[in-house]
Amino acid sequence: MTPIDRIAATNRWRGRPLVEKALLGLGLLALALALPPWPAAPAILVVATLVVTRGAGVPLATWAKILAAPLGFVLTGAATLIVTVGDHGVALAPGGLAAASALTLRATAAIAGLLTLTLTTPATDLVAALRRVGVPAEIVEIALLTHRFLLVAGDTAQSMNAAQAARLGHVDWKRRIRSTGMLAANLLPRTLDRAHRLEQGLAARGWTGASLAVLRPEPPVSIRRLAAILALLVALALFGCLVP
Amino acid sequence: MSLLVAEGLTYVYPGGVPALDHVDLAVARGRRLAVLGPNGAGKTTLLLHLNGTLRPSAGRILLDGAPVAWDRAGLVAWRRRVGLVLQDADDQLFAPTVFEDVSFGPLNLGLARDEAEARVREALEALDIADLADRPTHMLSFGQKKRAAIAGAVAMRPEILLLDEPTAGLDARSARRLLATLEALEAAGATLVFTTHDVVLAHRFAHDAVLFQDGRIVGHGPARDLLRDAAAMDRAGLDAVEA
Ligand SMILES: Nc1ncnc2c1ncn2[C@@H]1O[C@H](COP(=O)(O)OP(=O)(O)OP(=O)(O)O)[C@@H](O)[C@H]1O
Ligand SMILES: [Mg+2]
Repeated sequence: MTPIDRIAATNRWRGRPLVEKALLGLGLLALALALPPWPAAPAILVVATLVVTRGAGVPLATWAKILAAPLGFVLTGAATLIVTVGDHGVALAPGGLAAASALTLRATAAIAGLLTLTLTTPATDLVAALRRVGVPAEIVEIALLTHRFLLVAGDTAQSMNAAQAARLGHVDWKRRIRSTGMLAANLLPRTLDRAHRLEQGLAARGWTGASLAVLRPEPPVSIRRLAAILALLVALALFGCLVP
Repeated sequence: MSLLVAEGLTYVYPGGVPALDHVDLAVARGRRLAVLGPNGAGKTTLLLHLNGTLRPSAGRILLDGAPVAWDRAGLVAWRRRVGLVLQDADDQLFAPTVFEDVSFGPLNLGLARDEAEARVREALEALDIADLADRPTHMLSFGQKKRAAIAGAVAMRPEILLLDEPTAGLDARSARRLLATLEALEAAGATLVFTTHDVVLAHRFAHDAVLFQDGRIVGHGPARDLLRDAAAMDRAGLDAVEA
């Protein structure tokens, strides 16, 4: 389980209606991409930070760490804008610094906006919501089962890895590669076996091969909250368009 | 009359491992039945037969005196009445949250949304895990997973509840708490059949017991007497309960 999965499963906004979180997260993402980065991007970053830390209750340090992870890629990409390779070798690109900072700001704001959705909503809720936009139930169910299996297989791999290490299977490179190969080879039959037993467990509860339907609690959507989110987005858009 | 009867059940796993050899067994309504035996004796295999998951190569199974059928309709009717909780809860939990997982069985019974939801709440309450309803199934302790898995079967209100090692891996107090929970379910009308390696627990909790060894029943009778019978217990490779 990644830190993002963990936070998504436990944060204060987990039970909020998906429509609200999607409107906010995708709205912030769209604004970050559409508006000129200055001063909209910093404003979006501030809003996203407030939403995640004050709203969803994620500690600021955790939020900073999660946001910083993709930033490495953004900075590498931006760095290439600063320099140019011409006839005289490598030189500073004209206007390169401005372009690089604009790109960094915009990308950071976009990531932060999207993270307000992914940090407050478990992946399984997002996948389940695909049904409401017309994706066939079978595909959604397969995706959800795959997700569950990835988690279980991840745990299995982790404990197999620990068991190998405990028996000194990782003391040098040669042995580590050998051990890892054996682990990978073993993971498939173990996972298939698990799938087989899961099928028996489902059948025991009356599953006959049709839909894997479960009751999904759907919190009531509040029109007032939706309106507030919309107002916030509009305010951000006006601020981003008019202030520069 | 016995609620569930198995006669001459014989089963060989694909690959040639013999697991059941002419097993006769009767489950009486309201009498807790403990199934004991060493590892590999065939306890899990037996439970998988009692709800139709595995089909015996010989023998038959009667539910309320009527032979069961292994076709789709027969299995559906069978599993409405006989619930099964697997040895490993991770094999059973599949939905993102506990609430959603427990709702799976009631929906398969064809219950309406409201009624299914009431069943889920009731089962979570009965298993003492109402506070875990919205927890991801993946983020539970071993004992909590076990309770969630049992709730999934209980929500279907089966007449017989088959439990494969329900207390294995639980600390002594949690095991006792779980047994108290099961007793309450029994008071609500479910007959319990469970496997266990804990002879003392079986002695205290079960009314009847069967002893397994190498796919055969080597002893059956009232738990109080059978589990103290050193000779009978020795035949199953088990240590008798001290008197
Ligand atoms: N899927 C399988 N394929 C082949 N053989 C199996 C399979 N499952 C169990 N067996 C074999 O069938 C026999 C009975 O196994 P079973 O799982 O019923 O024992 P058990 O009494 O439940 O043991 P334990 O106490 O360890 O859970 C064993 O010899 C086992 O190796
Ligand atoms: Mg077993």
